[in-house]
Amino acid sequence: WMSKPNMIWINTTTYGLLISLISLFYLNQPNDNTLNPSLMFFSDSLSAPLLALTTWLLPLMLMASQHHLSKEPLTRKKLYISMLILLQLFLIMTFTASELIFFYILFEATLIPTLIIITRWGNQTERLNAGLYFLFYTLMGSLPLLVALLYIHNFMGSLNFLMIQYWIQPLPNSWSNIFLWLACMMAFMVKMPLYGLHLWLPKAHVEAPIAGSMVLAAVLLKLGGYGMMRITTLLNPLTNFMAYPFMMLSLWGMIMTSSICLRQTDLKSLIAYSSVSHMALVIVAVLIQTPWSYMGAMALMIAHGLTSSMLFCLANSNYERIHSRTMILARGLQTLLPLMAAWWLLASLTNLALPPTINLIGELFVVMSSFSWSNITIILMGINIIITALYSLYMLITTQRGKYSHHIKNIKPSFTRENALMTLHLLPLLLLSLNPKIILGPIY
Amino acid sequence: MKPPILIIIMATIMTGTMIVMLSSHWLLIWIGFEMNMLAIIPILMKKYNPRAMEASTKYFLTQATASMLLMMGVTINLLYSGQWVISKISNPIASIMMTTALTMKLGLSPFHFWVPEVTQGITLMSGMILLTWQKIAPMSILYQISPSINTNLLMLMALTSVLVGGWGGLNQTQLRKIMAYSSIAHMGWMAAIITYNPTMMVLNLTLYILMTLSTFMLFMLNSSTTTLSLSHMWNKFPLITSMILILMLSLGGLPPLSGFIPKWMIIQELTKNNMIIIPTLMAITALLNLYFYLRLTYSTALTMFPSTNNMKMKWQFEYTKKATLLPPLIITSTMLL
Repeated sequence: WMSKPNMIWINTTTYGLLISLISLFYLNQPNDNTLNPSLMFFSDSLSAPLLALTTWLLPLMLMASQHHLSKEPLTRKKLYISMLILLQLFLIMTFTASELIFFYILFEATLIPTLIIITRWGNQTERLNAGLYFLFYTLMGSLPLLVALLYIHNFMGSLNFLMIQYWIQPLPNSWSNIFLWLACMMAFMVKMPLYGLHLWLPKAHVEAPIAGSMVLAAVLLKLGGYGMMRITTLLNPLTNFMAYPFMMLSLWGMIMTSSICLRQTDLKSLIAYSSVSHMALVIVAVLIQTPWSYMGAMALMIAHGLTSSMLFCLANSNYERIHSRTMILARGLQTLLPLMAAWWLLASLTNLALPPTINLIGELFVVMSSFSWSNITIILMGINIIITALYSLYMLITTQRGKYSHHIKNIKPSFTRENALMTLHLLPLLLLSLNPKIILGPIY
Repeated sequence: MKPPILIIIMATIMTGTMIVMLSSHWLLIWIGFEMNMLAIIPILMKKYNPRAMEASTKYFLTQATASMLLMMGVTINLLYSGQWVISKISNPIASIMMTTALTMKLGLSPFHFWVPEVTQGITLMSGMILLTWQKIAPMSILYQISPSINTNLLMLMALTSVLVGGWGGLNQTQLRKIMAYSSIAHMGWMAAIITYNPTMMVLNLTLYILMTLSTFMLFMLNSSTTTLSLSHMWNKFPLITSMILILMLSLGGLPPLSGFIPKWMIIQELTKNNMIIIPTLMAITALLNLYFYLRLTYSTALTMFPSTNNMKMKWQFEYTKKATLLPPLIITSTMLL
């Protein structure tokens, strides 16, 4: 807020990059299997990679939003940036919370800036509805979580440091424990959408402005995954069979959402449904609770965060030029914007989990561990991988190849900012495939 | 009204509530209630339209009935315990009667029917006094007799109040009715934990009074009583639109705003006493409340209704100073664990 008017973007972006640098140095230490508590009520991060992802995305979000905010008066630009920074702050605190109730408060607190970003700066009239769906789905799931957390607080004395899992007792199988399990898990199931509860996601992604979409896809969905990983380790040593219905839903939902992607005309909606499908894989992984599946879930979360965010940036670059999200309106971009076509290619390849990338590592671990859980799931997983490849290539071919449509004569060429944005997305993705040890999570 | 008369009436209202809070003799408490009620009737009738008359008549009738019920309860207590001191009430019938009377004064369901209509018929300032100051006196009596209240009765009333407050407010566009239904719902939350931990009720009451005072002052600042007129605020006071946004979200109970604190503490106290379904139900119906607050924020802060174009006109009210003190308090102050 204290910068000169034409320097605001540059200043905030630079500060964001510096913060992400600090977080990388500071918190990528837990790879020797030593936990590293930072402060009193910030824990160590078993989920250091998610923190790095969050801080990395802030400058990227700022860079991506520059174009569509260029015509707004200065105060509103500053308001937008402050909303983004506030969201960032809450997310950082959420990932480093060491007590579950603190985590819950921040979990809800991240909803408020996201809601404001979606409804105030979105682009179509449906954004009001989208914001409502988003808020109320999440709140409806998370209020029972509050009650359950307080009940557990009474029952076990403390929820602090999340390391006081050392005195959990195995939960016997009774009706009230079933409800407790449900109450704990539903919030996170809504958040990283389980197939039956995913209705808010396409709406919110499609209506949000670019930075909102980026942060939603990349980080907020991972909040659900992170929460589930924390809660399952603490609370559910014995209720393994409660996971069956959700596994069924996730497996089936994975295939269904991937197939929906094949028939989409709306570009952002396609990416949104692909997010649901990838997150369903993460749900399956977390519910199986084996070490390999946790590693796969972590890797998949990070990889999906970067990939989806990049796809949204690409979709936004299309949107800024033709102001419509329909895919077929902007065909044959390879002849017009060749560098952008290269980014499209790489993004689609990582989306379909091409071999050396970390997307593949995540998916492979999940597939292997689900095979060990039950032999039949490999069929479903295999079908999903095929369909994912199909729609990623479909997206690629429709926007890049073929003859360009006749009315694309006046597209502006790619800005340097956009190219920089794509590189910054892609670079961690590719570099991590050289050393995936960092993101494989706590159990490596 | 002429200033001297206004001062005398205000002083009577305050003295009445003070007498209720500070005395330990039941007769004095009743006297305090009656003083309060009689003195607030002229305040309710500040404008001379028939709606205000109707509102103040309804208010008078309900409050008088409640006072009489209270007196009956006091007499039964006198009969069975032989003393007038306000302490543990020995007879269950007396305690039920007193509870009913006090909840009638507060506007808990099923005695809530007067609240929306009375709040609608009076000016914003009188509505503010009605919804905030008038709640203090019955709450203080409930606090004092809290060990001997029948829990089932009060919990039932609290649950139905939260439901009524949520559902009733959904179809409203008049701001005063929205605040009335919000008051019903919040009173329900407060009544739910009186028997378990009365301190939480005081916490909830304090925060609720702060939030409602701020809301009314913001409404008075641009004299808006309908959602439509509220939506013109981006033209005149753009800063206040964001304040209304945060205030409404805080009323709805979203963390990390301070409206979440009473809900959290109440749910904590209730789960400590092994009641799990009831706080879950209450929390979920509080979402209904959140919906219409959110609708208000949509129309003011987040979208722009079609209206006159962006001409900035400024005028000053004397309420400006006080209004800016309170919302920051509302926003921050989340005491973390």
